[in-house]
Amino acid sequence: MKTVIRNTTCADRLLFFLLILASCAGIFISREAVSQSSDVLIEVNGKPAYTFPLAGDRTVTVNGPCGPTVVEIKDMKVRIREASCPNRLCLKEGWIAKGVIVCLPNRIVVTVGGKSAGSPRGVDAVTG
Amino acid sequence: MQLQDKHRIAVLSAYALSLHGFEGLLPTPIPWLRLGLANIITLVALMLYGFRTAMTVTLIRVVLASIFTGTFLGPSFMLSLGGGVSSAAAMGIAWAVSRSFFGPVGLSLIGALFHNAAQLALAYLIFIQRFEAIMIISPVIILIGAVTGLMNGIVGGLLIKNLSHE
Amino acid sequence: MKKNLLVLLIFAALLNLAACAGRKPAVYKKTKPLMDTLVTITVVTNSEGEAEKAIDDALSTIDRFSGLINFFSDRSELAQINGDAGIRPVRVSPDTLGVIERAVFIAEKSGGAFDPTIGPETRMWDFPKKIRPPDASIREKLGLVNYRDILVDREKSTVFLRRKGMMLDLGGIAKGYAADMALENLKRNGITAGLVAAAGDIRAFGLKPDGTPWNIGIKNPRQNSKADELIARARLTGKAISTSGDYERYFIEHGRRYHHLLDPKTGYPAGGCRSVTVISDSGLYADGFSTAVFVSGPEKGMRLVTDAGVDALIIDKDGGIHTTPGLKGLVTFEDGH
Repeated sequence: MKTVIRNTTCADRLLFFLLILASCAGIFISREAVSQSSDVLIEVNGKPAYTFPLAGDRTVTVNGPCGPTVVEIKDMKVRIREASCPNRLCLKEGWIAKGVIVCLPNRIVVTVGGKSAGSPRGVDAVTG
Repeated sequence: MQLQDKHRIAVLSAYALSLHGFEGLLPTPIPWLRLGLANIITLVALMLYGFRTAMTVTLIRVVLASIFTGTFLGPSFMLSLGGGVSSAAAMGIAWAVSRSFFGPVGLSLIGALFHNAAQLALAYLIFIQRFEAIMIISPVIILIGAVTGLMNGIVGGLLIKNLSHE
Repeated sequence: MKKNLLVLLIFAALLNLAACAGRKPAVYKKTKPLMDTLVTITVVTNSEGEAEKAIDDALSTIDRFSGLINFFSDRSELAQINGDAGIRPVRVSPDTLGVIERAVFIAEKSGGAFDPTIGPETRMWDFPKKIRPPDASIREKLGLVNYRDILVDREKSTVFLRRKGMMLDLGGIAKGYAADMALENLKRNGITAGLVAAAGDIRAFGLKPDGTPWNIGIKNPRQNSKADELIARARLTGKAISTSGDYERYFIEHGRRYHHLLDPKTGYPAGGCRSVTVISDSGLYADGFSTAVFVSGPEKGMRLVTDAGVDALIIDKDGGIHTTPGLKGLVTFEDGH
């Protein structure tokens, strides 16, 4: 053991410590960062139906009580492209990059931006 | 290239290949965890015989191992090649810059780091394309790489000492 | 050798740290469309399984309750009471009885500014479709709006609407009550901190993992941009907060804003306020009084909240802000307000 330690240079030891420290810190940082990463979560009637990365264009059709709703992901943004709900308020929301689009009649919730999406500026909930 | 060099490369490559194969037989707690034992040979080759030998041994090892396991030119071969080449290159550069700054342990750590970094980058390009997934796994892999790199460096250092005593 | 030990120690400590990270209390959150709105429940606990179970349990409690008092469903207990108005008393579950009793209490307290028998009037309006009932119909149905004609028999657990055509609409307090029920449910499941938000009717209890109270944004009734713009934020624990605003369901016709908060005395949207936020110990009172104060207007509304012992933030029709002294320290206004 002694000879092994004597065989290492200062730089060797420093490098080892740095790697250990950086990777440990990285484990924490990445865990934090990913928990609020940008995923598109599509829920129907409160149950998660799909999760897609925001990076990656695609179109998906989900079925709710009123019929099909078409969700489109493009250029890091999401919108409801077609809806069969009566009031079509969800269509009027347009493209969002963060936040929530809700279609109440069709019970569809599209959330972008992970868990903290619904709480802008450090607020846990909004009244009004 | 001298006959002696060829002989040396052949022997080293054989060692590297057998370690590579042996490592595949070892049970590991995590499926994708590799000890990188073959890197010991690259390290020894670099410190005793120079960069050319180290790189040649690495290339021979990667190509032959993939031919033996039937993955030649497949995606896992790409990962293996990218990791091996960048690892050997990084160690070679560190060694070329200063022969006294890093010892075998430091070189081995650098090799492990670049091996992992190259593989992660290639994995992102070839398979996963999910940045978060790579972000999550990178620090874990680099941490494990630091530990295995340390052990390989120690073993490599002892090996070099014994070989140069003879 | 010493140095080597040090390396090992540091390494072991780091590994320990990583292992502990999974066990500290964290925030778990789930949203479900219920009661014609979005219900979000947030809990603080150290086990994901426990959080999942408690939240699902609380959500299904709300689901069950909303089935009982849904104004638009024919099978709800509320529909039966409305259907048998002027005919016979209807036996109902304790939850329905409880919410109606409290609705009557708030109606009495507010002198009818909040009135659960507003149903015949609300039914005629359709805000998304911009349908305004004819003035004659509004006047005609006004005779059916009177909370004194609700007869609650506690012993027999029945509710009777005295005149045919009367209709209970519990929309003004149902969500606040649902938040109360969900919160009790969470507590029974061993949760000690969390947040129940049935749209803007919110109940907070306990503290966040970092030891601070919950931060509740209060929406600006006149939004300049599309994002939820806040006028203030409240720091709450162990309290309920509700807002009634003229911007939630409304349409504008000939420059006039028609919104869903109808004055039981006129049958038309109440004009005194833009929004009223009430903070109380109970979700039901916060919800009910925010409606009552909104309809009463800023002056009478202020007297009402003082009398009822709740706190309020009133934004009147000209954008003026009125607050009770109790809000000091609880509510901070955003820049520019």
